[in-house]
This record gives sequence, C-alpha cells and structure tokens, in this order.
Amino acid sequence: MAWCKLQGAIVSCHSRTRHELTDEKGASSRLLEVVQPVVTRETIKIMLPELTIAYVPSTQIVESKPLPIPTSDSGKFGRFGGKFVPETLVACLNQLELHFENALRDQLFQAELAVALRDYVGRETPLYHAERLSEYYKSMNNGKGPDIYLKREDLSHTGSHKMNNALAQSMIAKRMGCKSVVTATGSGQHGLATAAACAKLGLDCTVFMAAKDMQRQSSNVRLIKLLGAQVEKVEGGFKDAASEAFRYWVGDLERNYHLTGSAVGPHPCPAMVREFQSVIGKETRIQALEKWGGKPDVVVACVGTGSNALGLFHEFIDDRDVRLIGVEAGGMGLESGAHSSSLTTGEVGVYHGAITYLLQDQDGQVIQPHSIAAGMEYPGVGPELSFLKESGRAEFCVANDQEALHAYERLCKLEGIVPSLEAAHALAILDKLVPTLHNGSKVVVNCSGRGDKDAATVFNRGLFDEE
Amino acid sequence: MASNIQFTGLNTSRVLPIPNPSSHFPSKMLQFASFRTANPSSVICSLTRDPSYVAPLEEHAKTSNGSVLLQRPDSFGRFGKFGGKYVPETLMHALTELEHAFHALSADEDFQRELAGILKDYVGRESPLYFAERLTEHYKRANGEGPHIYLKREDLNHTGAHKINNAVAQALLAKKLGKKRIIAETGAGQHGVATATVCARFGLECIIYMGAQDMERQALNVFRMRLLGAEVRAVHSGTATLKDATSEAIRDWVTNVETTHYILGSVAGPHPYPMMVREFHAVIGKETRKQALEKWGGKPDVLIACIGGGSNAMGLFHEFVDDKDVRLIGVEAAGFGVDSGKHAATLTKGEVGVLHGAMSYLLQDEEGQIVEPHSISAGLDYPGVGPEHSFLKDLGRAEYHSITDEEALEAFKRVSRLEGIIPALETSHALAYLEKICPTLPNGTKVVVNFSGRGDKDVQTAIKYLKV
Repeated sequence: MAWCKLQGAIVSCHSRTRHELTDEKGASSRLLEVVQPVVTRETIKIMLPELTIAYVPSTQIVESKPLPIPTSDSGKFGRFGGKFVPETLVACLNQLELHFENALRDQLFQAELAVALRDYVGRETPLYHAERLSEYYKSMNNGKGPDIYLKREDLSHTGSHKMNNALAQSMIAKRMGCKSVVTATGSGQHGLATAAACAKLGLDCTVFMAAKDMQRQSSNVRLIKLLGAQVEKVEGGFKDAASEAFRYWVGDLERNYHLTGSAVGPHPCPAMVREFQSVIGKETRIQALEKWGGKPDVVVACVGTGSNALGLFHEFIDDRDVRLIGVEAGGMGLESGAHSSSLTTGEVGVYHGAITYLLQDQDGQVIQPHSIAAGMEYPGVGPELSFLKESGRAEFCVANDQEALHAYERLCKLEGIVPSLEAAHALAILDKLVPTLHNGSKVVVNCSGRGDKDAATVFNRGLFDEE
Repeated sequence: MASNIQFTGLNTSRVLPIPNPSSHFPSKMLQFASFRTANPSSVICSLTRDPSYVAPLEEHAKTSNGSVLLQRPDSFGRFGKFGGKYVPETLMHALTELEHAFHALSADEDFQRELAGILKDYVGRESPLYFAERLTEHYKRANGEGPHIYLKREDLNHTGAHKINNAVAQALLAKKLGKKRIIAETGAGQHGVATATVCARFGLECIIYMGAQDMERQALNVFRMRLLGAEVRAVHSGTATLKDATSEAIRDWVTNVETTHYILGSVAGPHPYPMMVREFHAVIGKETRKQALEKWGGKPDVLIACIGGGSNAMGLFHEFVDDKDVRLIGVEAAGFGVDSGKHAATLTKGEVGVLHGAMSYLLQDEEGQIVEPHSISAGLDYPGVGPEHSFLKDLGRAEYHSITDEEALEAFKRVSRLEGIIPALETSHALAYLEKICPTLPNGTKVVVNFSGRGDKDVQTAIKYLKV
C-alpha cells in the first residue's frame, strides 16, 4: 500500500531529522536516549532538560533537506515544529496528512467547505472601520492617528474564529470514516465549535476541559452539552486537558479523530489549522483593497496558541511592508510569574509533539500559565509563530489582565461590540502601538471572538460596579 | 363629491396635529395646515375604511399579473381597521415628524448608503439562507419524500438576533433628527441590549426601561446593557414587567419628546412605528428572495416565523405579501396551552382593542384589562401583536398557529442536536411548527424558517427543563 511506503519514508526521515539535529547543532546525542517510543503519563509531561540547557539558540535558520513525500511542508518551520510523537502515532499522523492533502486538492471538498463556510458559519466576516475607537485615539493626539479596522471573527457562528478550523477538520474526519471526534478546549470556544460542527455532520463528540475553565466559562459548557457533545472534566489546566484528549484518541485510533483547535502539536496539525484559518487573512486582503485600495500597514492579533494570529498573518508573511504583531497574555505581570507569555519569556523545547517556545522552569517542568482569558492560557505556542519570532518577521508583545479588561470595556462603550477577553488583549496593545504610528496608517485588529462568555468574569471582577 | 371634500379636510387634520399656538412648527407644516377648511376646535374624528386623500387604500386591486396589491398602511397609519395613532396629543407632533423624516430619508441616497454600509460591516449582513440538511432528512417520510428546509440565519447578526436591523436604522434616523437621547423598553433584555449596542456605536445617551421583576430574572442582561454604557431604569408599577416598562417609556417620551427618540422594538405601537420597523426589517425578506432565486431558481413556498410583537415575521413576510403563491405562517406562544389561560396566543385567543397606541388583537379580560401573558420565551411574552398581523389574519393572507412551551423546548433540543445551531426559545416556536406542517407538504416544497435569534441567552432555562 502506498501509505506503508510513506510510513517507511516518514519513519526513516523522522530519525534522519534527529540525526540532522545532532550533526548540525552539535547538541548531544542524549536527545536520542531521552525520547521514549512508548506513551506514558511521564513521557508526555516530562520535558527534555538536557535538550533545553544544552541547546544553544541559533540565529541561523536550519533548512531541512527536501523529503520524498508528497507534501509541500516538511512539518518544520525553520528549526521549530516537527513530529515528536511515539512511533505508534506516526502512522496515524501520516494518514491524516494524506487526507489533508487530498482534501485540499479535491474540488468537491473545497466547494462543499466553501458553501458551509458561507451558509453555516456566516463568512465572509466584515472588515469593520471602528470609527469611534479611531477617534478616541486621535483625540489624544491632535486629531491625528491611524484608522483602526476590526476583522469581525466574533460574528462567525458560535462566536469565534475557531469554527473555520473545526468545520473543515470535522468534514475531513467524516471523509476518513471516523465516527467520533475528540478534542480539548480552553475557553470552550473551540469545544463549542467542534460540538456544533459534529452535530451538523452527525458525528459523536467528546470535549476535554479543565475543571477551572469549566467553572469560569460555564456558559460555554452548557452550550456544548446542549449540542449533544460529551464534556469530560480534567484536573489542572488546558495543557492537561490537551494531553488527556490526546490519550483518549490513542485509545481508539480507528474510530476517533483528534481535532486540534490550534496551530500546535505534531505535524500536520499546525499546518492544517493554519491552512483552514488562513481564510481570515485572504478575506482581509480583498476587503482592504476594496475599502482603501491598499494593504493593511499593521495587523494585530492575540496569541494564545496562535490559530487566529496565523489565520490573519499567513496571507501577509511575504508582504514585508505589513507589520505583524502578536499579543500574548501578561497575566498578572511578567515579574509575577503568573502569565502565559511563551514567546516573550519562554525557552525552546519540545511540547505536545513539536519544537517550540514554551514556559518551563529550571527542571524543564512545564509551568502552569495564567491569564484572565482562558483561551490564552497555554504554556506553549504554535511552532510557526516561534519561527516568525526568531526570523524577526513578526513582533510579539504582552498585555496583562488589567489592560485587557480596560480594552474590553472600552470597545463595549465606544463601538457597542463586546470582544472576548482574548481579543481584548489584541485591542489593549493599541494604547502603546497607536502613538508610534503615523497619521492615516491602516491597522487591522483581529476581533477573534465575542465576549458574551466573559460577561460573568468581568461582572465578578467587580470592575464595573455602579458608582 | 361633497363628501370627498369633507373627507379631505378631515384627512388633512388627522395627519397633522391641531396647531397649538405655543408649540413650534416647521414652516412647511404650517403651510399645509392652511388647507384645512374646518374650525380647528370642531374637528370630528371617525374611523373609516374609505380611501384617504393622500394615498388610496385599495385592499383588493388587481395588478396586471393578477397578484393582489395591498396598500399597507394607509396615510392614517391603518391596516384596514387596525393600527392608527392612539396617543396623547403631545406625542402627535413627534410621530408626524418621525414619519416625515422616515419618508424623507427613505428617498435619501446618502442615508440609504450609510445604513447599508452599517448593516454590512457592523451587523454582518447579508445573513445566509442555510439549507438544513439533517433537519430535512428528519422530516422525510418513509418513501423518502418531504419538504426542503432552509433557515434564514438572523442569529448570525451582531448581538445574535434580528432586532439590531431596526435598532441600527432608528438610531441613525434619530441622529439625523438631531436627537441626542434614546429611550427604549425591554422585557428579557434582548431589545435593550440591541438598543444599548447601537447607542454605544453612535455615541447617543441611552436609557432603558425594564420591569423590576424582569431585572431580577435577567441580571446578566442588565449588566451587559450597563457595560455598553446604557442606564437601566427599574419600573415598579403594575406587574413590573414588559407592558409596564412600555408604558413608562411612553411616559418618558411624552415628557422629553423634543430631545428624545423612542426606539420601539417591534411592529407594534402607534403609526409610524409599525410601518417603520417593518421597513427596517424588510431587508430579511428582500435577501431571502434573492437567495432563493440563486439557490433553487424560484420563490419559497412556505415562510414560517415566530410572533411576539411580530417584527421578525413582518421582516420576512413583507417582501412576499403580494406573492399569493407564498404561504405565510406565523407561530405564537401557547405557553401552557391555549385553553390554560397561561399563554400569549394573541391572534388565536385575543380580541380587538387598543394597546400602546395601536388598535390590534390583544389579550384582555371582560373588563378590558390587559391579561398577563405567559410564555417560556420572554420575547413572545407580549399581550398584544403588531396591527399589520391582525390585518393579515383577518384578510386571510397569513395563517397563525401556536406552539406550547413543551413543544418549543423539544424543537430547541432537536435543532441543536441535528444542525449544531442553538435557536432562541422564540425561534424554537417557529421550528416546532415544522413537526405539524411537514407531513402535509408535498415533496420538494421549499420551506424557509426565520431563524430569528440564537439561544445562548436561553441556556439556563433550557437546561432546567430539558435536564441535560
């Protein structure tokens, strides 16, 4: 069978990759010793301490040799990404990759997806000129300032950009003959999108969610259950839910499809998610051309794991005159240690199957991240974003909980749009960004979700009590 | 004809308020007023179905293609005997000013362009016409035959319901009129949130009247309105619910009419509101016609919508009222059952009377007091109904049925599980009617259900009843 050969090629290149690293990096061969082929709780959680300490961050981009498989993407973004999974899963991932490639080339699938995105999800989402928000900043600077546009992913069905990916991957799951979909969710948005897509396609759905997230995003939990999906509680944080989902998937590979919500994980997951989210950027380009006859000067998005950011950025990566700015969660402040800023303060390691920046302590143990926004609470980040950071193509900064809350309130009062706390981080950075931009520059902020789910959090923070 | 001249004078004076020397009038209205022949203090009012001077009401005038042309409303603001302007004199000027502004802006290309831009970029129109495959499968009969079910996705609008179409247009209108202050009433909070939203967008002062009882039940919606910068005022009179909030809002408007615009949420109330609100929602029907043509090259055969005040239904129906081959079906709330006394099935069980400025069907007791309605869905919990619906019912152009709380909850669950779209409990009533009508429809009938809102707000209620 073709895929067996494929498997052989992949397996050998997999070890070749390791070998390459050893040769070119000069990193110790301890790498080969430490990576375990068997999946256990320990192997998924334990980092590779020697790897991170001995690994000297390189400014050079490592080019992998072209691999003899029919994918354009080798799964590596520079030195980031890859497929660090036990051997048993490699075959599965290859099969997934094959289906993904086939789906991309299949006209019928693309047409079906396009119709579903239009009629079910409600695309295209508008590029909205936030006049009052722009005025607000202009009024602080003699009437001069950028024009701020919001890409309204909050208007998508289920209220966030997550649906773009959940729908497409559910359709692939159906094509593959899987009967059940399993996934993990932080804020609940991805779980909700997956549950909705599964209901539409008639698939079973199991969603893993951390106990504390279930509590603070309880409205989403109720919605997920109403859609007929199972919700499984996991102790810990989103990263633990993600690990559990992975484990559940491995339990029945024939029947289950593991639907990644974000651009993390082993290849082909980051590439798949980015591909399906890239519709955001594609639409933005067309809409920008219609509205002001040009490209955006700056695009801003919040970064939890990176799906909405990549969805917006990807289209403009080759346009060097477009600045890409990602905003991570500063939580209670970077000094406090309670934050989720993987790209700003993290170090490179292997997490959930890929090489990427992540938050880890001196023993290589993953730090429990914190943010007021559940969807930003992930100690890692998508490998493609790690690559964009290291190559200098994208800039990454931080907004803390307070700043996000203020931005949330500001958008409500000025534009009547309630952003999600995640999107509020992207909006918060405007305070610092706008004074540096020249008059009339075009800023597009990805309003990645609506904030109805966060009203209770904001309410409980008591920040908006009546005087 | 002598009587015509008589009517002319009468009509003119009904359209314009009787001039009060102390009130200020725009000069062109004074000019018009001079056509009156009768003594201002002895004008006689009478209900009449006769053609008015300004615009003839031809109930059954046939056009060349045989379809019936209906003039709705006439210049009195009447739909047949329904509708009208039963308000205190102090409001008559404001209503007339509103009507003139509305007509002027309807013809104003700049206004229309601005409104279209906002509907597109802010509200997210056009909303899709979605083919509900699994729902269609569900209603297929044993031999594989059945209707095709399409959902008009008003739930995808900003704020999650059709309400914003009207709120946004009225806010823009108010701005053009130079009003800085907006008031509105709300039951469960949906219309309040939509109004607060558009006021934030346009930088207008916003005051929302809400029954104290409702405020308790909907604390989160109250918080949302405040978050959007609106002031929410509690109404303690009466039963402290929607109808009392409406009365309070009207009272506020009477007091502050010069600075204030009242954003009424539905096709109820005094003329020109039923017409205006319908026109602002008519985009729903217009899009549906275009989308139906694109999708299957024809018109819908059946249109189904839920009826509280009637705005989403009018928005969908209006475009097709003159197409006699399109069936119009409105679904009201039967609560615990139309015979239980605890329902909101105005068109099924109500009698004609005047409420909130308009003559229409309403739920009243033998003494003419308004009966407190009941429905599990707050948006359908209104004891009246838009006058145009009363008219369409009497004419036989539209059919009106009702659905109980239980049936609505079943539909809520069914559609969530089959299509992954959670409907509002209001919308669930329209979806529940599919159970009754689909078995009667021939194969391939195109049914369009107005998916008027999303159900995120109803999750607590649903979970309680469905024990999910």
